[in-house]
Amino acid sequence: MSDPILSIRGLTKIFGGLVAVDAVSFDVRRGEVVGLLGDNGAGKSTLIKCVSGVHRPEEGEIRFDGEPALFASPMDARRAGIETIYQDLALANNLDVGANIFLGREARRRRLGGLIQTLDDKFMLRESRETLDSLQIRFPSLTQPIQTLSGGQRQAVAIARAVYWDAKLMIMDEPTNNLGVPEQMKVLELIRTLRDRNVPVILITHILPDAFAVTDRVIVMHRGRKVAEKATASTTAEELVQYMVGARDDAAA
Amino acid sequence: MRKLGLFTMAAGVALALAVQAAAAADKIKIGFLPGVVDPFYQVMQIGVEKAAKDLGVEVVTQIPPTWGVEAQTPLLDAMVARGDLNYIITAPVDKDQMVGPLKTAVDHGVKIITVDTYLGDGDYVKGPVKFPLSYIGSDNVQGGRIAADGLAKAIGGKGTVYINSTNPNVSSVDGRAKGFKEEMAAKYPDIKVEGPDYNLDDANKATQQTAAALARTPNLAGVFGTNVFSAQGAGTAVVNAGLGGAVQVVAYDATKQAIELMDRGVVSLVLAQKPFDMGYLAVAFAAADAAGVTSLPPRVETGFAIIDKTNVKDPAVARFIYQVPGK
Amino acid sequence: MSERAVRAARRVDVAAAGVLTPLQRAGLFLSRVWAWAFLGLMALFFVAAVPLSTGGAVNFLTVRNSQNILVAIVPVLLLGLGQTFVIIAAGIDLSVGWVMSLASVLSALAIRDSYDAGLPLFPAVVLGLLAAVAGAAFVGFVNGVVIAKLKVPAFIVTLGTSFIVRGVAYLMSENTTVIGLPAGVRAYGNDALVYLVGGPGGGIYFLARPELSGAMLRRMDILLPWPVIMTAAVVAWAMFLLHRTRFGRHTFAIGGNMDAAIRAGIPVDRHIVALYMLSAATSGVAGFLSTLRYTAGSAVIGDPLLLSSIAAVIIGGVSMSGGSGAIVGTVIGALIIAVLTTGLVMLNVDAFWQFIVVGTVVIVAVLIDQSRDLIMGRPKGGVRR
Repeated sequence: MSDPILSIRGLTKIFGGLVAVDAVSFDVRRGEVVGLLGDNGAGKSTLIKCVSGVHRPEEGEIRFDGEPALFASPMDARRAGIETIYQDLALANNLDVGANIFLGREARRRRLGGLIQTLDDKFMLRESRETLDSLQIRFPSLTQPIQTLSGGQRQAVAIARAVYWDAKLMIMDEPTNNLGVPEQMKVLELIRTLRDRNVPVILITHILPDAFAVTDRVIVMHRGRKVAEKATASTTAEELVQYMVGARDDAAA
Repeated sequence: MRKLGLFTMAAGVALALAVQAAAAADKIKIGFLPGVVDPFYQVMQIGVEKAAKDLGVEVVTQIPPTWGVEAQTPLLDAMVARGDLNYIITAPVDKDQMVGPLKTAVDHGVKIITVDTYLGDGDYVKGPVKFPLSYIGSDNVQGGRIAADGLAKAIGGKGTVYINSTNPNVSSVDGRAKGFKEEMAAKYPDIKVEGPDYNLDDANKATQQTAAALARTPNLAGVFGTNVFSAQGAGTAVVNAGLGGAVQVVAYDATKQAIELMDRGVVSLVLAQKPFDMGYLAVAFAAADAAGVTSLPPRVETGFAIIDKTNVKDPAVARFIYQVPGK
Repeated sequence: MSERAVRAARRVDVAAAGVLTPLQRAGLFLSRVWAWAFLGLMALFFVAAVPLSTGGAVNFLTVRNSQNILVAIVPVLLLGLGQTFVIIAAGIDLSVGWVMSLASVLSALAIRDSYDAGLPLFPAVVLGLLAAVAGAAFVGFVNGVVIAKLKVPAFIVTLGTSFIVRGVAYLMSENTTVIGLPAGVRAYGNDALVYLVGGPGGGIYFLARPELSGAMLRRMDILLPWPVIMTAAVVAWAMFLLHRTRFGRHTFAIGGNMDAAIRAGIPVDRHIVALYMLSAATSGVAGFLSTLRYTAGSAVIGDPLLLSSIAAVIIGGVSMSGGSGAIVGTVIGALIIAVLTTGLVMLNVDAFWQFIVVGTVVIVAVLIDQSRDLIMGRPKGGVRR
């Protein structure tokens, strides 16, 4: 196996007196889908926010792509190649697919001998279509505002955006929440496609079937601590539930 | 009196021409565009409509909802765009700013008669603005002097008085404040004049401003309100302060409210202008001009009725109180 | 997630698999074109009713009236142009009217004083434009910084600055009006590119007004006055900026989802400052043009125009919740108001009726905007800041 793309050692985050994340360590390798499981309040989101630059941890080390990576802001994390996909948060629903994929990085054309620059919508549409095709995502129209798309389709747009801009690590926070069953399947399918393209994914979820459907490895958190790390193939739903509710704890042993 | 003579002459011209003009005038159409909605202009409109009926000319009227060039100009432009008006009778809301828009009307072949307020300095023969046919209105400087004399008498020739006015750069109220100040300075050395404050044609604001003046100058002896809104606001403030009778108010414009306040002893003197005459004469002038008359006077002063407690019941005077049907 | 959000998300799924039903399409189409249709129907009504009511003496559909309407929309449209950007970005600028007044005073002072100091007329007028736009843009800068950096709601900030600007405009003017401008200024505000004289002996004249009198004068039409040409240039520039550039795209993105814009690396704070400067600048141009038109600066000139300009923007289909709109909509909105005013005057109906009609149309416009949300399945209480 290759070197880990993400390596976390002894990460600790304290809010006031509460230890939200307690000395957590784990690695993520290229082409790997890692499930991050735990009940509400287990510390999954806080851990991820430390990685994506939202929070600064009190202790511990994060290395990304071999470099120390304590990001000062989410923008810094994105620039380094860490894309975090939140449901509904990172897209402008009033803009079309192309505009969303190129949001903040719009392609432009020089006109009148470079005097002025206009948006190159044709280019952006073409590139978007190619990216979507390569991910086997099909929309009837790419020029409608994406508010006309379904929740799953919008997830797909966010994923396509990350792919187009060469994300080195994708973090997906409960991506199947609030989706209908066919939509859930579509999103899971996309995660598999990402793995096939060698893009590592951290999948935050509390839905066990999702974790079994797409992950290679699962990490379970309970009350801020990592209580288990298992290859998905070698564990069962009952076992994971026991870890999630705190009935079992590998770290305490 | 020179002014009275001029007025009589103008009235004579108008009447003499009325019959003759009526024959030629059936082809002319007149637009009437006053300054704002108030009783003064409503009475003027009655004069305009009476003359139109008597002389058999057609009149279309538009009244700006608020006082200001941005309210009056679009209505003026639309009247000009009709293309069928030969004359526009208007009270320019600013003596400088309305020159451009009214000149554009003239450029489209519409002749302008100004009533109540004028353009430039009001001298359409030698002054900076020459294109209007005529100015028909009060001698406002003279009105200001009359108001000063009346107020000085009411307060016994000494003390501090305050002017509340509507807008700056409006020929009518500017003239009133000017005449008032000049007269006070010349004849009443013991009277100090404060103001004017400008209420921008808002009676509520006039009330606030007068109340502030009363608070600032506790021994204020009198207030001069230079038009309908100023006088309304001044009267209301004095009544609210419980100073009715103690603080004398002189009101320009004989609204019913001003007369009521006179009955209650708050207002000591009311200057009634003659808006009906202004409106009627203006239409008569337009008809006369259309009939080929070339000697219309460029300035006509319509005079005042001075109303106080002694004559307010006299029908010869009371007819100058602004009466608007249905109001 | 709240129950409401879950419901909304479910509705999204049901409503759209990316394809709009024919009914949705029809609804969307109607919601987009209704303002055009309303303008057209209203114009048709006046075209028919005005000659009827005047026995054929007055016509609505004339060259002169078309020019009159173009002149009438100038101030409302200029105030609305910058406002369109601001509202698309889910902001509001209540200071535009008084900024216009301040700009009018500043430009009048600049023109008068520089001319009196010996500057020729044209450079003096250009200086007046610069003073108007720079002074206005400064107010916009203050608005933008307080809104973007100090996170005070735009409504409050611009309300506050409008009072401040009002006071400054009063103080800088001499009793609200700045007079004594060189007489030549009038030509810039009232003269035109083309003069058309119909009928016998008529002709077409460029740049210079023909010397005419009497009946000939009544047949002259003044085409494309300078303020209209200048406004058209600003409109064209605003269209380009909003619909063809990255600046415009970012404006939509900020209005659609501020968080997404921030995450996408759009310099949102800087952009918001620029938006309020833009809004103030177009108001500054309006103040400058009013100074030319009235040959005087006025500290009260813009006061009655604020609400009309916001009405024009809303009628034009710009959503008050941000994220959608177009410059052409604001032009239509301003046209609707101007056509209404002119048509009512021609019918000799009280000008007050225009308030009632405009108010009704504004409410209808908002209802239509909301129905568009319903048609498109945009989640309510969505993703805005």
